Amino acid sequence: MLIFDQCIESISYLATLLTNGLIMGIIYALMALGLTLIFSVLGIVNFSHGELYMIGGFVAFFLLDAFEGLNPILAILSAGLATFVIGAIFERLFLRPMHQGKVQRTGEYAILVTFGFAFFLQYLSLAIIGPFPFKASRFVDLAIKPLFGVIRVFQTRVVAAAIALILIAILLWFIQRTWTGRGLRAVSQDKDAAAVTGINPLRMNNFAFGLGAALAGMSGAVLVQVFSWTFNVGIPAASKSYVVIVLGGMGSIPGALLGGLILGAVESLGTGCFPDPSRGLAYQSAFGLVIFALVLLIRPQGLFGRKL
Amino acid sequence: MSSRTMARIRGVDLRVAIPLSALIILAFLAPVVMVALGIAPYWFHVAIVAMFYATLAASWSLLAGYAGQFSFGTMAFMAIGAYTAGLLGQFLAVGVVPGIILGTLLAGLFGLIIGALTLRLRRTYLALFTIAFSEILRLGLMAEHKITEGPDGLPMEPLVNTTSKVPPYYIHLAMLVLGLAIMYALVRSRFGLFFRAIREDEEAAAALGVHVVRYKIFVFVVTSMIAGFAGAVHFHYVEILTPNVLLILQMSIVITMAVIGGIESLIAAAFGAIFIHFGLEIMRPLLNWRLVVFGLLLMLTLRFFQNGLLHPILQFVLRREDVLAETVAKRKLPGEGDPA
Repeated sequence: MLIFDQCIESISYLATLLTNGLIMGIIYALMALGLTLIFSVLGIVNFSHGELYMIGGFVAFFLLDAFEGLNPILAILSAGLATFVIGAIFERLFLRPMHQGKVQRTGEYAILVTFGFAFFLQYLSLAIIGPFPFKASRFVDLAIKPLFGVIRVFQTRVVAAAIALILIAILLWFIQRTWTGRGLRAVSQDKDAAAVTGINPLRMNNFAFGLGAALAGMSGAVLVQVFSWTFNVGIPAASKSYVVIVLGGMGSIPGALLGGLILGAVESLGTGCFPDPSRGLAYQSAFGLVIFALVLLIRPQGLFGRKL
Repeated sequence: MSSRTMARIRGVDLRVAIPLSALIILAFLAPVVMVALGIAPYWFHVAIVAMFYATLAASWSLLAGYAGQFSFGTMAFMAIGAYTAGLLGQFLAVGVVPGIILGTLLAGLFGLIIGALTLRLRRTYLALFTIAFSEILRLGLMAEHKITEGPDGLPMEPLVNTTSKVPPYYIHLAMLVLGLAIMYALVRSRFGLFFRAIREDEEAAAALGVHVVRYKIFVFVVTSMIAGFAGAVHFHYVEILTPNVLLILQMSIVITMAVIGGIESLIAAAFGAIFIHFGLEIMRPLLNWRLVVFGLLLMLTLRFFQNGLLHPILQFVLRREDVLAETVAKRKLPGEGDPA
């Protein structure tokens, strides 16, 4: 009961939980952005998002491992590039036929084929890399003093969140200010109208899926220094991304950002304030999933969703 | 037309009934042959597990293939049935058979609740919701390890008090045949038409007088009960139950079996499960590569053989137009001539 009392009485304990939750929330937001981007352009939920995240992490890990002193930023960008290519190839081979009328029941097909891809990627990396966990060393060495003298934060997570913020900013700039970004938004609003103005929706689909995959891969690369990495690390990551996009509203970018922060805060406070600390930790992911189930039942379009 | 009428006795199509009864008789006689040939009990075990998966794959194909409800919750209902039976046996000394019955009923109750809650949700949302449901259940079972024994496993009473694999083989065979018979009767009846009408177009079905809410919940309850029943029976045989049965891998295996067999045919899905389970056992020396092959096969089947790999073969063997011709995807595609 000690922790529970602390949760009610100690402001600094509560503030620590909240700060750490929001730090994780920024990273969740980055993961979810890729998923929401794919949903808004292609109209499908990518069930292999977690596996692309896992692969991004492994690419960064092995690059940093192979080349001593490689700039972590380069490793993250390479992870993004690798997952972009994987995502774009998958889209070209398995998702484009949906839009060309070569596949029936596209809604069910999209769920199952991305799910099959997830399965394939997961066991391919298990077969190649093995079941043992890998742990990357810190990207940068710097000591962070407790904020206001009392709020302790994890150094690796702060670095990860900072990189995530930069990546989010670049993505937002790209989507809002460049022609390709406008093309993506046009296709997400109305495919046919976009085609009339000379945008090729098929190419935009391909690019959006690649970009979404790259965002998953880069968030994996950012987090490889935080968690130990195995072939199945993508499953909890993906389920958190689903929670975020459902909470924020599928296809909504501000929704993904806000949803990420909310999920981070809820998980952290829920775990820290659960009456029985050992069970609280075991239930960590469950807090998010309960919110998720409630949102689906009460307000399926989420906070900023367009329509269901 | 006349040959078709002659091949029917009291509405039962002999061209289906004869091969199917032959198969069932073969399955009943298989243990005798296996014992006579001295085949290792290990293969009995493989066959038993294969029949467990076959029951689950068939129930998923009824829910997703016929009724169009893409639930990822089959394993969750299976686990509810199994844990109910196990916990009742552990704490209240409830016997095996009453435990299985209560487990089946509780799985049905949960199916009713989840089915009612998710009525509004379609496709992706339903898939996400049921994934979340089974993950919450898994985390809960892990966290409450004082009751459920968590990852150490909940001990279960043995199904029958013998080390022989023959009685559990027959029990599983009976379970599979019973489950298939119930579901087959269901899809051959008016209900089957209602399910498919709802799958194709919910609004149109409702407009034509199909009670959409009732049948959507009904199919959820039936498939949940069958999954719960299979779980309770099978884990009394395995004698130990861990929350790992709820890992997403397990659900993916069931789905892959149904898809490769033929998602819109119960029997093809069940055969798919049996073939794939034996296939995975034979491929054991390949270690994890067999799951890679499996994943690739799933993707290719989806892309190029939407009716499954086994379904067309079954159709050929049964020398019949189709088990249910009108259910199989034959809709006209844009940019294509008349479908064959």
